[in-house]
Amino acid sequence: MVKRFGAVRALDTVELRVTPGTVHGLLGPNGAGKTTLLRMLLGLVRPDSGTVRVLGERVVPHRAPTGVAGFVESPRFYPYLSAQANLDLLAGLDGRHASVDTVDELLARVGLAGRGADQVSGFSFGMRQRLGLAAALLREPRLLILDEPANGLDPAGMRDMRALVRELAEDGRTVLLSSHLMAEVEQVCQDVTILSAGSVAYHGTLDALRDRAPAPAHHLRTSDDAAAGAAARGRVGIEVEPHRHGGLAVRAETADLDDYLLALAGAGVTVRALAQTSTSLEQLFLAATGEDG
Amino acid sequence: MRYALTLYRWELEKLTAQWRVRAVFGVAVLAPWLFVAALRLQDAVPADTLFGRWVHLTGFATPLVVLVFTTQYALPLLISLVAGDIFAAEDRYGTWKTLLTRSAGRGAVFAGKALAAGTYTVVFVGLLACSSLAAGVVVLGHQPLVGLSGTLIGGGAATGLVLAAWASVLPAALGFAALAMLCSIATRNGPAGIIIPTMVGLLMQLASFVNGVDPLRHLLLTANFEAWHGFFTADRYYQPLVTSAVLSAMYLMSCLGIGYLLLHRRDFTEG
Repeated sequence: MVKRFGAVRALDTVELRVTPGTVHGLLGPNGAGKTTLLRMLLGLVRPDSGTVRVLGERVVPHRAPTGVAGFVESPRFYPYLSAQANLDLLAGLDGRHASVDTVDELLARVGLAGRGADQVSGFSFGMRQRLGLAAALLREPRLLILDEPANGLDPAGMRDMRALVRELAEDGRTVLLSSHLMAEVEQVCQDVTILSAGSVAYHGTLDALRDRAPAPAHHLRTSDDAAAGAAARGRVGIEVEPHRHGGLAVRAETADLDDYLLALAGAGVTVRALAQTSTSLEQLFLAATGEDG
Repeated sequence: MRYALTLYRWELEKLTAQWRVRAVFGVAVLAPWLFVAALRLQDAVPADTLFGRWVHLTGFATPLVVLVFTTQYALPLLISLVAGDIFAAEDRYGTWKTLLTRSAGRGAVFAGKALAAGTYTVVFVGLLACSSLAAGVVVLGHQPLVGLSGTLIGGGAATGLVLAAWASVLPAALGFAALAMLCSIATRNGPAGIIIPTMVGLLMQLASFVNGVDPLRHLLLTANFEAWHGFFTADRYYQPLVTSAVLSAMYLMSCLGIGYLLLHRRDFTEG
């Protein structure tokens, strides 16, 4: 499917294969087309050409597909209604009735136990994220689409949200999770798709991606960068070059880096700072999306 | 249809939860009583207004004076307060994506909201009609009303004719509601959805005062607010009522049709 906004080609022939019962990560820099793709899957945006098929069925443009639920960007609700009333309304729009017990159970599952009677206007951003997940689960979807679900959550909330997402997949639901946090994707997803400029730059398992990943990058500052650079020459498993912000950019796995640092000490070069600038997957993500500078 | 009715029920709940709607309904109920109280305190009468000269003689003149005044100046605004915002409110709250990712299609959402705006319009006009009739009759009495041909109309008949007069403005009122809904969808902005139909109503009113535009005048929605005059003549005539109903239906269908197409074709890329 193709989608343009004016002269900008937001999506260009994207095909996603998501294994049922798994959490599939959707990654990409800003403007890669992630949000447009999610909106298209939810029936909010019509493709200019091509068709969208989800769960084996063609998505009728501008109509929410059966068996699919979720939220894109931040979920929104009527602030002057309670959480219970908002969920009642949404259940009605799915032809269901949301009993108080059902809503209470759902709210407890997403970490909002006892908040059903509260007006949404008093909810924090993170609480709205949780309510968004509850609203999606109310639809009992086979495919759950979540756009940055951990946004606005505190560390404990992020941990709980990730655990819940994994639990949902274990229950047999398929989750398509869009995130800009590589760490989140690494923790939760089995498969991943990386979008770049509206096209698929990588599609496959996270393990396969790791196999292709270069060594992690570090920023090294020493007492003598020239000597440190010379010490790296001829060493296996380490790449050193001048860093654009001064010092040296070093790519190496942990063991090779340890050996290199010991060698520097032996050569009388003092290490003044060492910081990991990106993980292996981030390196690959940046390379795949052409953002590695 | 089931989804449209569900949404309709929820729209009504949402409307009744809003202070603005409660305030407008409060005005509809209380304003006629305040108007009658003010009339009792002074000798002058609004003689320039149709039936204005009889306001001290019979309570049946009160609802007709209120009807003339409301349709000339206030009705498009009071209708647009809800109809002009009912779609744009979803843009303001960012809730389109919440509504449209459920099983109910866009047609059902549109129908539910249009029905709710129509219900508000009918209830508002009904409240104002009943309140002004009650205020007039209770405070000023139910003496016969002097008709436009000078004949006297007895209390029972006058009650029926007054209510019929108010009912006759409903098609045009619904036409304005449809125009406000179209503005709400097209501009995605609540204030614009309220102000534009109000200004259109005032401009139509001004245009109707200009000589030389008589054929055009009959095409204005505001002209239909006068279709009830024929009820109060010795030889009653109903042709303006028929014309009004047809013209209002045309406004209603074209505004709702365009509004539906705009909503149906819209890509929700924001919010």
